[in-house]
Amino acid sequence: MSAVITLLLPATGRGWRYPLALCGLLGLLSLHLWLDGGLPPAAQWAQLWQAPVDFNGLQFHYAALPRAAMALLVGAALGLSGSVLQQLTGNRLVSPMTLGLSAGAWLGVVLASICLPGVLALHPAWPALGGAMLALGLVLLLAGPQGLNGLPLVLGGMAVNLLLGALATALVLLHDQYARNLFVWGAGDLAQIDWQWTLWLLPRLSPALLLLWLAPRPLSLLRLGLAAARGRGVAVSSILLLLLAALWLSAVSVAAVGLIGFIGLVAPNLASLLGARQPRAQLAASAVLGALCLLGSDCLALAFSQWAGDSLPSGAVTALLGAPALLWLARRNLRPAQQAAAPSSVVAGQRRWGRGGWLLAVSLLVLLTLLSVCLSPMADGGQLRWVLAWPEPLLWSLRWPRSLVALSAGAGLALAGVLLQRLLRNPLASPDLLGLSAGGSLALLLASSWLGQPLLQGGPLLVLAGSLLVLGLLLWLGRRHGYAAGMMALSGIALAALLDALVQVVLAKGTADSFAVLGWLAGSSYRVSGAQALWLSLAVLVLGMTALAAQRVLALLATGDGVAQGRGLMLERVRLGLLLLVALLTAVVTAVLGPVAFLGLLAPHIAALLGARRPVAQLLLAALLGAALLLLADWLGRVLIYPRQLPLGMLASVLCGGYFLLLLCWQRLRRGGGR
Amino acid sequence: MMLRILLCCFAVWLTGGWLPAMAAGLDELEQASRQPAGPPPQRIVALSWEAAENLLELGLTPLAVADADDYRQWVVRPRLPAQVPSAGSRLEPNLELLASLKPQLIIISPTLLPMRASLQRIAPVLNIDAYQPGQDHAQAAERILLQLGRVLGRQPQAQQRLQQLEQGFASLRRQLQAHGAAAWPTVQVIRFANPSMVYVYGSNAMPVLALRRLGLRTTGQPAPSVWGVSQQRVGQLLALRQDIVLYQQPFAAAPQLFASPLWQGLPFVRQQRFAAVAPAWSYGGAASLLYLAQGMTTALLQLPIAAASRPALR
Repeated sequence: MSAVITLLLPATGRGWRYPLALCGLLGLLSLHLWLDGGLPPAAQWAQLWQAPVDFNGLQFHYAALPRAAMALLVGAALGLSGSVLQQLTGNRLVSPMTLGLSAGAWLGVVLASICLPGVLALHPAWPALGGAMLALGLVLLLAGPQGLNGLPLVLGGMAVNLLLGALATALVLLHDQYARNLFVWGAGDLAQIDWQWTLWLLPRLSPALLLLWLAPRPLSLLRLGLAAARGRGVAVSSILLLLLAALWLSAVSVAAVGLIGFIGLVAPNLASLLGARQPRAQLAASAVLGALCLLGSDCLALAFSQWAGDSLPSGAVTALLGAPALLWLARRNLRPAQQAAAPSSVVAGQRRWGRGGWLLAVSLLVLLTLLSVCLSPMADGGQLRWVLAWPEPLLWSLRWPRSLVALSAGAGLALAGVLLQRLLRNPLASPDLLGLSAGGSLALLLASSWLGQPLLQGGPLLVLAGSLLVLGLLLWLGRRHGYAAGMMALSGIALAALLDALVQVVLAKGTADSFAVLGWLAGSSYRVSGAQALWLSLAVLVLGMTALAAQRVLALLATGDGVAQGRGLMLERVRLGLLLLVALLTAVVTAVLGPVAFLGLLAPHIAALLGARRPVAQLLLAALLGAALLLLADWLGRVLIYPRQLPLGMLASVLCGGYFLLLLCWQRLRRGGGR
Repeated sequence: MMLRILLCCFAVWLTGGWLPAMAAGLDELEQASRQPAGPPPQRIVALSWEAAENLLELGLTPLAVADADDYRQWVVRPRLPAQVPSAGSRLEPNLELLASLKPQLIIISPTLLPMRASLQRIAPVLNIDAYQPGQDHAQAAERILLQLGRVLGRQPQAQQRLQQLEQGFASLRRQLQAHGAAAWPTVQVIRFANPSMVYVYGSNAMPVLALRRLGLRTTGQPAPSVWGVSQQRVGQLLALRQDIVLYQQPFAAAPQLFASPLWQGLPFVRQQRFAAVAPAWSYGGAASLLYLAQGMTTALLQLPIAAASRPALR
């Protein structure tokens, strides 16, 4: 429907836009009510004015109407929130979802449902708002003041998204019975049983009107740049207030209906596409188009539910439609100049890495390996006892595959991270951001839920096939852009969002498989066999050697595209080759272990911070560090809540992500009080 | 080139992933019960809750049970003694703990089949597939209890327990018949996911099988999932307008939903053919079936439809 409007509107005169949008809205509303309540459009009008006499009437008044109202309200709130964020940052790729705000809100709600269920029932908005604010703070910290209008903001948002999402998943896994009721909600479901939530949401959306009235002036001045705007009397506090209002709108939406992505991204872009130029026109048009988009997606969700007999959450439909839209927007909006503009490293150290350092690092790794193999708790008649001894043959046969896998997977991901960060010249690039692990997970999920194959059977090869498929897609998409950084990362973001939606659908089905899915997505070394461990270490070794052999190319790439080309480097071919290497490294690790986030991001940074800046040194040191980190995570996962176990990937993501953020905070504070 | 690589991967995956699954189609428990090898094992670990239930019903205390604390909270009956330790989670039981317990037998469900090779190194493994698609799960549950009794050298106990269960069902049936259950409409069982979403149990789910054994009319529609439930919106429950509807507790958001006009407008709610059933485990074995039936009978007998025909007895 909105596509039709897109086609029609530029052709017609300016004055016709709003009446046409209204007609579209009414038509869509009628269709929505028809699909939901079963009443044909003619009967709806009559039913609207009379008290319900039968169940169809009740259904119309208490299920169909509130659902449609909810779709309109939430859609408008998300569209408006996205529009404010985009105008504030001057970045067309920003939205509550891409900034990780939704993930933050979701984490807040999960946390509240476990720790303070009473508070969640009474004040559902506050935990969500707290989470969203936390996410925004982290993203701004990650992107830095210069990164607001480019790719760094989006990449930072993705990183925060991953970290907070991993934390929420960890909480759900640990408290499964409490969190079980959150699943359907987490998928963004608009179904209603009365007017309660609609009436809850309505007054809380009142800041929207204030925004429409007050925001246009500062927003239009901000287009001149922050300094110019301040010179003309725009106070920083008013900008913060606008930001807070946008946060509030998306947080109450999340609290009311759960995670609904992409509306806040697509609606403002559609608005500007349709010719809304002035700030106020953009805000209003984004709100209207957001409402239309969500109503339209919900129509599709309803139609699918009726056709398939199994209900599909609305959030899943918006993700299915929105992921391709994000790709398309990225191709329109990312100019080469923006893609290249990124600081060479987020963290920088003054230290130099010498021979003593290597000795120390290697001996530390050996010590850690020995400890992880030898030290473990034992249940001894209800008592826990720590045992430090060389394991007997049976225990040894159970332990070595896990330790070997942790070591080689850590090294592999760290290598992939170094390659990718040097290749894309972006310090926030990491293999999980490319969506390769998401592709693998997606293949596994699809096989288990639609082919009826039990999850985790024939897993590794399936994951490998999925990752390679994503790589093919990335290469195909990237060929026109010369495999440029921004395009690759955004494709990854789109894929990750798509995966997220599908995971939520599977979880919402509420079968016992849900926890198997969650467990696998958390990245566990539990199911690894000895043969798999050996194969993985061999593959990482071979691919790592290849990476080391490419050190001259990496050094040339660091000098910049122009210089590298001048020295006779075939840029496209080199990029293709290195990308293939990164993808293979990520795919083999993901296939055996499941997705592990943040390690590939963190290890190269610590290596650079310790002073290893030449390609070979950084590759080797990052591999050592990655191996040590993952080994530590595996050991902690085995002993922390003995006899239960925490998945290695999840623990590594949370540890590395948390450490990375701390590192950044420290760096920014040290460089003279933030910005 | 890319395509060719992908096709190769797919082919390798097909042969690697599906062939073992086909070979596992043979029922392992049946084979084991036909040729018991040596003296029956005593030190047994149950890594699935239905296995733990069956062991307890046979009078054996398991050495360890996966997610033992959750078992005590969710399955409740039969009672698991407090000293039985947890063996880790059901998805990822702790192998090192199992090894230190030195069991003689480990019973698993198909979820843990990929871990078989590792478990086998600790002790012999017995896989019990209680929920094969396309079979009557209630009959399968009885067969499993009997065969497990044979494997563990406790056939008399198994037979005796099955007789007790049948007597239990017979007594419940008599109670229901005395209240005119023969003339009742179809009984449906649901469980709430949240205030707007319900799971409706199909004819391949344990609660519905328990109802059928009670001699009540039940749905003939199997649910699409292996777990026997189909997901529906609350409004779709209108299709059950003629039926008696039971819901499985717990349901935290009950006050909100049950107060809404939409819910109050559902025919089975208006005509008081709707009741709550005490929590019971709906993915268990033969004994769980009786516990489910007991809970549902109690709920049914409190409905006005049961009271209407009460004078016939007293």
